[in-house]
Amino acid sequence: MNSHLLSIIVAAPAIAALIVMFISERDGANSRLAIRLVSLVGAAISFAGSLVAIRTYDKALGGLQRVEDYPLIPSFGVHVKLALDGWGGPLLVLTGVILFAGVLASWTVKTRDREFFALLLVLTAGVFGVFVSQDLLVFFLFYEIAVLPMYVLIGIWGSSHKVPARGPFKFVWNIFDIGGKQYAAMKLTLMLLVGSAAIMAAIFVLFLKAGGTTFDMGVLANTKYDRQTQIIVFPLVWLGFGTLAGVFPFHTWSPDGHASAPTAVSMLHAGVLMKLGAFGVMRVGMVILPEGARYWVPVVGAVAAINVLYGAFCAMNQTDLKYIIAYSSVSHMGVVMLGAATLTTTGWNGAVFQMVAHGIMTGLFFALVGLVYERAHTRAILKMGGFANVMPGVAAFFTLGCLSSLGLPGTAGFVSEFMVFLAAWKSQHYFWAIPGVLGAFITAIYVLRATRSIFWGPGPSHDFHDLSDAKKTEWGAIVILGSCLVILGFWPRLILDYIDPGSVEYLGKVLAPVSALARLP
Amino acid sequence: MTRPVMYALVALWTPAIAALALAALVPLRKKGWPAAAVAIFSSLVSLGSAIALFMDRLHDEVPQQLVAPWIHAGSTVVAEVGVRVDGISASMLVVVTLVATCVQVFSVGYMHDEPPAAYGRYFTLHALFLFSMNTLVIAPNILQLFAGWELVGVTSYLLIGFYFKKPSAARAAVKAFWVTKFADMGLLFGLLVLFAATGNFGWDAKLSHGVATAVTLLFFLAVVGKSAQFPLHVWLPDAMEGPTPVSALLHAATMVAAGVFLVVRTNPLFAQAPATRMVMLGLGAATALFAALLALVQTDIKKTLAYSTCSQLGYMVAALGAGSMLGGFFHLTTHAFFKALLFLAAGSAIHAVHSNEITDMGGLAKKMPITASAFIVGSLALAGVPGLSGFFSKDLVLEAVEGQLSNVPYAALMLTAFLTAFYMGKVVFVAFFGKPSNEKAAHAHESGLSMSGPLMVLMVPTVVAGYFGATFAHVQGEHYHFHFGTGPAVASSLGLAGIVLAYFVYGRGPRTEQPAAVALVDRIAKTRLVNRVYEYGFHNVTLVVASGLAFVDRYVVDGLINLLGYGAIEAGRKARPIQSGFAPDYVLAVVLGVVGLAVWAVFGSWR
Repeated sequence: MNSHLLSIIVAAPAIAALIVMFISERDGANSRLAIRLVSLVGAAISFAGSLVAIRTYDKALGGLQRVEDYPLIPSFGVHVKLALDGWGGPLLVLTGVILFAGVLASWTVKTRDREFFALLLVLTAGVFGVFVSQDLLVFFLFYEIAVLPMYVLIGIWGSSHKVPARGPFKFVWNIFDIGGKQYAAMKLTLMLLVGSAAIMAAIFVLFLKAGGTTFDMGVLANTKYDRQTQIIVFPLVWLGFGTLAGVFPFHTWSPDGHASAPTAVSMLHAGVLMKLGAFGVMRVGMVILPEGARYWVPVVGAVAAINVLYGAFCAMNQTDLKYIIAYSSVSHMGVVMLGAATLTTTGWNGAVFQMVAHGIMTGLFFALVGLVYERAHTRAILKMGGFANVMPGVAAFFTLGCLSSLGLPGTAGFVSEFMVFLAAWKSQHYFWAIPGVLGAFITAIYVLRATRSIFWGPGPSHDFHDLSDAKKTEWGAIVILGSCLVILGFWPRLILDYIDPGSVEYLGKVLAPVSALARLP
Repeated sequence: MTRPVMYALVALWTPAIAALALAALVPLRKKGWPAAAVAIFSSLVSLGSAIALFMDRLHDEVPQQLVAPWIHAGSTVVAEVGVRVDGISASMLVVVTLVATCVQVFSVGYMHDEPPAAYGRYFTLHALFLFSMNTLVIAPNILQLFAGWELVGVTSYLLIGFYFKKPSAARAAVKAFWVTKFADMGLLFGLLVLFAATGNFGWDAKLSHGVATAVTLLFFLAVVGKSAQFPLHVWLPDAMEGPTPVSALLHAATMVAAGVFLVVRTNPLFAQAPATRMVMLGLGAATALFAALLALVQTDIKKTLAYSTCSQLGYMVAALGAGSMLGGFFHLTTHAFFKALLFLAAGSAIHAVHSNEITDMGGLAKKMPITASAFIVGSLALAGVPGLSGFFSKDLVLEAVEGQLSNVPYAALMLTAFLTAFYMGKVVFVAFFGKPSNEKAAHAHESGLSMSGPLMVLMVPTVVAGYFGATFAHVQGEHYHFHFGTGPAVASSLGLAGIVLAYFVYGRGPRTEQPAAVALVDRIAKTRLVNRVYEYGFHNVTLVVASGLAFVDRYVVDGLINLLGYGAIEAGRKARPIQSGFAPDYVLAVVLGVVGLAVWAVFGSWR
């Protein structure tokens, strides 16, 4: 069994989804419980499996381990090749923990819960698949499996709000219900699909130029593509995957999408799915197209720096709690891309660490926001106030999330941000590091303002009736995620020791000298 | 692992375990008193190991450290964590743990009326603070010091905001965090520059002149924030919204002194940057004088002490700027004792009369003898009266500053010494002598043993710490020998003159009007000029930029995306009439197509 561990991790949520679909809804409370328990077991198997996978990964050896290879379309050389590299372990654990916490956080979903849990599990199976796929086409298939259920999840279970018609493009309000959940779902899906189209084109170019016999990412990474191809294809991969990573200016699906999505979906989407984007840029774009990467990193890094600062400023002006968190994701994903753009081991370690740190942190945030929203029935922070009096636990964990968000030492956020800024400064990209650090300061302004506005002060006012602290399963999600933030903050090597061999190996490929074209303009 | 390292680890981890236990064991914390017991026990253990460590340093001067790799990249260790045992860390550890223990014991009585859950939260935060401060103090490198630095900032934020229901406390907490966090960017950038130049975060690197100046100036920005120097002092007076014992521990004795400690710790770097030291000397002396003037016009006893803290930190910064590491560090130590004593005594008085205003007190000396004597002893030490600890350390500062920068800082500090004695005299005469100003003051009575005990304990070092100057210097590997020259004579005469003047102005019955000079300062202070500059900047720059960018994002960047969608839909709508559903239209299209093909067949073959 052990040799099929990765398949089990990927398949468990999918199988659980299948079982969930066959549970009869007629039994009322019993079937509701059954749906949740099956989902939780599926999530737990993957979570436990990912912990086993990381514990048994030989970090001294590095490279691909636990390779599983099943032919899918042999005539095109498509294989379902799963293997664990250094990055895979931490990212699998991240996905596992967010899924587990997400199932706990969705315990109280009311409408069509069977379909909700099934879609959630299918989506996560796709995420697991991406992190362990070593075949580019299968990688892409899993990527699409992860992205598409979002349309339904937001469109059906989401929430809507009003955005006033203003600005130079006022007339689009005539045909779009901007701020509505269908609008958010549609925009998110369409923008990501345009990105997918770019990735698809890039994949075929890579496949054909490499001889058209295999999609194996290891083989493709060792193929020497000519410089012209690399320079043309890299932006397709960067912006294609980058759209999901919230790269400016293609991030605008994120605030609306995350604000409209139900709790668990926001958790998974901001916590894990956005990482797929950054992971794709690094794993496909930079590793397979090293020359293209080296040519384009000045742009990638500059855009990432814009992301950090721009996202932070935009977050500061929001009064809707979910928008604040969503924009902070845009800002924090900029840190990931910034680390990636440094093309240094420290920077790449920081980037992958930030994927995990931000995933946990934002998962925690959305879980808490869901809790608050469910009780207060509003997300307008200016209407809130004094909530710490009635929900002290939620307030404490929200503060913890804020502190990680602003990069407090002792939380995971600091470790990754510091590594990234250090790498940027060390490689003399001062104009990447300075906006980065400033962004962290702006973050301190807006998260503490939000905390004060929601939780501190007298109150809560009489408009709120049934406010209460988290209960039973809800504690599960936030305690797990909160402790992870602190544990990783104090002892980052728990995952850094695995990330590091991955970064060293992949970066070796990116920085390997290439014939006569080593010096780039 | 050697014994001193073991002591250091015990001192570091005991409060951490206490904090963790109290955070995790919710019922224990919510019960209140067990939290106090756990926190105080951990502080006592920490204090015991700190003393053992200090004793060990008396006869062993070789620094020891134990580190573990914390962040690595490939085979390179980027950052380490651990403990470092030497004279500086051992001395500071004793100061921190001693004051922390006294303050926690004091809090048992002071916070007695809080609900159990809040009481538990309070002591949990205290344990967390002690762990954070110890992390900072025994850090083996500047990165860990930075980690502790940020953590004490957060505990400060949480403790200032302890009464989070009060909007003013909530505002003060956030303001303190923002101001210090802004300054902390200096430390972070300094670390980046240092790492780029040396590849590690140690403080004993030889740097080029430019790098040394850049790094130390950046560090100094963080010091200005943390140690509340002009113009970033604005958060400290507001921080008095926190419970008084918190003000004593964090905002007088230890946390605000972290800035000074940073300079002491990284002295080898600052020694390479004379330009930075000049800036420090100037700014330190200016802050000392400026804050003393503001202290003069406060009527809130805690705010007087807060400005006094700014002022005394200015002394320390000036001493370090003048190159006297010992002077700065010694004054830090004595100040920690007497200022903690002053704050706790003030807390005891506030607890009795339920007001911070000195005008609501009066005549407390008769009702609360221990509190009053503690406050008076503390005030005399602060005023630099000969024989008390403050006299010796202040003298060391003045000696270092003498002759520097044409004696301007020296004169400023001398004047400050006079003002210090005057404003402390004012507080003592108004609050503790004369007639009680109201019913509450008339019926005030001495606080219980939990509160008066720590006062008596802290009175001891306040009086005698000065005589241990030589021991203190020996542990740092320096030499100190006191001699009563003209400097100490002038300074202490000025101090005494200040007290006498305060007696003539405030000591003879209630006054209705301020002396003209004080009234002038009061009018200037009431403009809150520095605060208003920041408020203006925040509202008119930061928030405007934020709302501008948010508008651009929502209506321009996202607007363009919407425009694309709109364009696609409109294009579809425009193209739709072509599919009209009428047969003649399709026949027409077929005919046109045939004609087109025929034309192409005939003329297209020219090529």
